[in-house]
Amino acid sequence: MATLAVLHGQDDSEQTRHSPAALGSGFALAAQGLRKRYGDGAEALCGVDFAVREGEIYGLLGPNGAGKSTAVQILTTLLLPTDGSAQVFGRDIVRDQDAVRRSIGVALQETGVDPLLTGSEALELQGRLYGATRRAARERAHELSGMLQLEDFAHRRIANYSGGMRRRLDLALGLVHRPRLLFLDEPTTGLDPLSRNALWDLVRTVRSESGTTVFLTTQYLEEADTLCDRIAILRAGTVVAEDTPSRLKRRMRRDVIELEPEDPAQLATLLRLVRRSQPSATLEREAVRVHVSHGATIAQELLAAAAGAGIALGGLRVAPPTLDDVFLELTREDGVTDTGEEA
Amino acid sequence: MLRFLEELWLLTGRSLKVTLREPWAVIPNIGISLFFLFVYNAGLSGIGQLPAFGGVPYLAFILPVALVSGSVGGAGAAGQALIRDLESRYFTKLRLTPVSRTALVMAPMLSGMIQLVAQTVLILLVALALGLKLPGGLLAAVGVVVLAAGWGLGFAGYAVGTALRSRSGRTAQAATFIFFPLLFLSDTFVPLTLIKAGWMRVAAHVNPTTYVFDAMRSLLAHGLVAAPLLRGLAAIVALAVVTLGFAVYTAQRTLRDA
Repeated sequence: MATLAVLHGQDDSEQTRHSPAALGSGFALAAQGLRKRYGDGAEALCGVDFAVREGEIYGLLGPNGAGKSTAVQILTTLLLPTDGSAQVFGRDIVRDQDAVRRSIGVALQETGVDPLLTGSEALELQGRLYGATRRAARERAHELSGMLQLEDFAHRRIANYSGGMRRRLDLALGLVHRPRLLFLDEPTTGLDPLSRNALWDLVRTVRSESGTTVFLTTQYLEEADTLCDRIAILRAGTVVAEDTPSRLKRRMRRDVIELEPEDPAQLATLLRLVRRSQPSATLEREAVRVHVSHGATIAQELLAAAAGAGIALGGLRVAPPTLDDVFLELTREDGVTDTGEEA
Repeated sequence: MLRFLEELWLLTGRSLKVTLREPWAVIPNIGISLFFLFVYNAGLSGIGQLPAFGGVPYLAFILPVALVSGSVGGAGAAGQALIRDLESRYFTKLRLTPVSRTALVMAPMLSGMIQLVAQTVLILLVALALGLKLPGGLLAAVGVVVLAAGWGLGFAGYAVGTALRSRSGRTAQAATFIFFPLLFLSDTFVPLTLIKAGWMRVAAHVNPTTYVFDAMRSLLAHGLVAAPLLRGLAAIVALAVVTLGFAVYTAQRTLRDA
């Protein structure tokens, strides 16, 4: 898939525009001005725009209560938006619910499975509800049980499943009809690190093997960072940033450089030297620390300067910016938005 | 249409399958119906000799009480099945599939009806073993089953509607208490002519269950007689229109935006 290759590992600077005119092709999911006001007047979404390209793993990142679940429930036809619109492969989520339901697979926190059924029964029924013959549904159930390592438990009642197994079954149920777009709502919340890594691998496999577009919500920065091609950060019902994880991080000018002199006595000299080009440098235990926008470039300059001044360095650390910094910055209540994209 | 029937069949099959896996949700209801039949028949059968009964054996008179209580319980099971799915949130999962919304709501009702018919047949067989005579033959027996199923359907609409509206097992359970006035404010134990309390006679006239009892009793004692049968069917249709309307209205509201 050509778009996929372009998206991977590259920072295409083109800003996504969400106008309906741009949605003709290549977009799996797009939302324009999506709003949701509940009966009690609470506004869960205050005009959300985004567009997810085909084949992309797209993450909606936000703290609890930011509106992630509401957004997913609207996009998957469980809730009606108060205002705005959204399309799944060009089909309207309100007017064309059947077509939307056919093209999406969903693993939501808000759903469960009948605990009295066995895993394979639930998978088979799911297949048949999407129109598969009994035989095809059975084969697909078998195939998915294998893929998600559920075989040993396929004929046990779901009531006896562990949390991780249920999550895998949920994913399998969402994949039964080979959807073009898969929704995952906080897929790894509550999972142990091993199960979490396994689930990430599965999501990547699903995408690479069938070109499935994945839309996921998460409150874990690491998950957004390692799994997603692009992310939108949601704060109090508004998208405050949308970009690739690496671009978002770079935008925060949060690279950290730490220089440690071999001889602690030279610490003050080193600090003075660094401050010549980086006035914001600070003293941090045994090292000089500075936050910069392009860590690698500045580090080279500082190394050269230290060598020139005859200061031997015992340690150097150039820390990549973490998404935590971006997230904390953007989801702070006084919310300095740094995107130029949202009011 | 064919697709709709297939979906309805798949969902109903699932519902029946899990019901059989938890038989203790159903057995007490059958037990209560059979208990009514045994106890009232054993304890009250002497009064069947009163002229007001017109020579109808008391077993034939009291059997409809067991059948109606069974059918109301069976219909309540439809609501409980739906509550179970709402509470396990499997219902939400099903809503995400392209399955017809009508099939989603009708499946638990249909499954309740199938349970109820099986239960009615079982109670009839027990009554036959206790010495029930059926002058109207098999046709009368089928008629009784149809009446029980129809009455159950009316009640299932109520049960499913309250289940969807309340989304809570306890509330839906509480709502089934309407069963008591419906069952007992009627000519439950003796013909209307023997009821002396004026308010009770009024209640019995208003209560649609009375007409279902009378239709069943007439079938059991005399076979097909048009007048009581038509009154019983009219009561059933009236109840079903109201409760199924309520169920459909509630389903449309809650399924659209829940």
